Amino acid sequence: MTVIAPLAIIVIVALAILLWGRRLALREGPALRPLAGYTALRGQVGRAIESASKLHISLGRASLTGSANPTSVAALAVLDRLAAEGCANDSPPITTVGDGTLLPLAENDLRYAAEAAKSPVGIPPGTARFIASRNDPFAYAAGVASVIQQQKMLGNVMVGHYGQELAIVTEAAGRNQIQQIIGSDDPLALAVAAPVTDNLMIGEEMLAAPAYMQGKPDQIASLQIQDILRILLSLTILGLAVYRFVAG
Amino acid sequence: MFRRGLPLIIAVFFGVVTLLSLLFSIPEISSLILEWASFLAAVALLLGVINLFSVHTQRMAGNRPVGGQNLYSAVLVISMLVVFGLGLTDLLGITENGTGQVFNWVQAPLEAALASLLAFFLLFSGIRLLQRQRTVYSILFLVTAVLILLSNALIFSPLLPQSASLILQQLRDFVQNVIVTSGMRGILLGVALGAITLSIRLLLGLERPYNK
Repeated sequence: MTVIAPLAIIVIVALAILLWGRRLALREGPALRPLAGYTALRGQVGRAIESASKLHISLGRASLTGSANPTSVAALAVLDRLAAEGCANDSPPITTVGDGTLLPLAENDLRYAAEAAKSPVGIPPGTARFIASRNDPFAYAAGVASVIQQQKMLGNVMVGHYGQELAIVTEAAGRNQIQQIIGSDDPLALAVAAPVTDNLMIGEEMLAAPAYMQGKPDQIASLQIQDILRILLSLTILGLAVYRFVAG
Repeated sequence: MFRRGLPLIIAVFFGVVTLLSLLFSIPEISSLILEWASFLAAVALLLGVINLFSVHTQRMAGNRPVGGQNLYSAVLVISMLVVFGLGLTDLLGITENGTGQVFNWVQAPLEAALASLLAFFLLFSGIRLLQRQRTVYSILFLVTAVLILLSNALIFSPLLPQSASLILQQLRDFVQNVIVTSGMRGILLGVALGAITLSIRLLLGLERPYNK
């Protein structure tokens, strides 16, 4: 029973995503509701080029081998888009990572974007930077803050897994009056980010990055399934609370 | 076709095998795969350290005037070399727990100092928010932050009458246990759902961040 229940949930959700995704591929899918974080991302690269400054993106410090790896996958989807736009204009975003496993993926993303855009300058050395390992959150935050302070940046995009150390980076970015777009799965990091920017991606909104950035039918179907699951979960919690209240 | 197909097959195969071995409690398989993953993560960390070293040595070798960025880079490179040297001397038995001493005497106090600044950063952010936009939410944010900070400081103070201290404690507990906890649980439930669907897409090979 203990094995069958999670396995059944996984199989049902997987089948639902596949079937719903196939259905969406045949007809026009629903429009995704606008989220401040993703809306702010649009045109960031263009504005950075116009003002002769750079864009910084941080992918967080979640290892691909750890439990928070979905946040890194979402962060890579954001990097895909920014790298494609940046490399098309010979201005790839400065990318910082807080875990070793993210570095090869970030470099791969940037290199692929440069090749796809046939960029004559390619990716300058040091565009993707490892800052500190995930076990040293404050060292990572201090390193990212120094990257922001040392170069002329227009925007600071931080999408991934962060904790309260995010305050150090947001403070540095705030002092330099840099526009910030922040997404995290950690409520503490979100609490730190809320006062400094309106462009937040709160928890699951950040995990929706692949759908917002690429918009494939399977990804949109997955978001819709997620909405249904959320409603079911909410009703279950509410039902149990009412039952407990009534039963005394 | 082969170039794109092979990584997908490997990723989906190992993902499904790990999932099944974890679900059906076959530690031999899951531990083996997780050990491989840990080894790869360690290699990736080494790559990261080389990247860090090369970025900062290049910056040191740049034609910019000495000071600022170059100085930070020089400090970083020298620190890396010193810690690496200490690691070697520890290994050879020349020094004892040299790297541990560096962590205990340099890194730990620095991280603690940074951590202690967080409350002030947050308070300044709140004030900046109030300057930027005076909405109900920004005022609520600042009032709550000040209230929680003050209540934490004053509850155990002998200067405050016991009745006032009790009210403050109840107020703090209500904010933390009811409002903050419910909000955090809401966010975490959403994250869990998002992580489940994203992981399933990875297992199905619909999401391929590795396949460029």
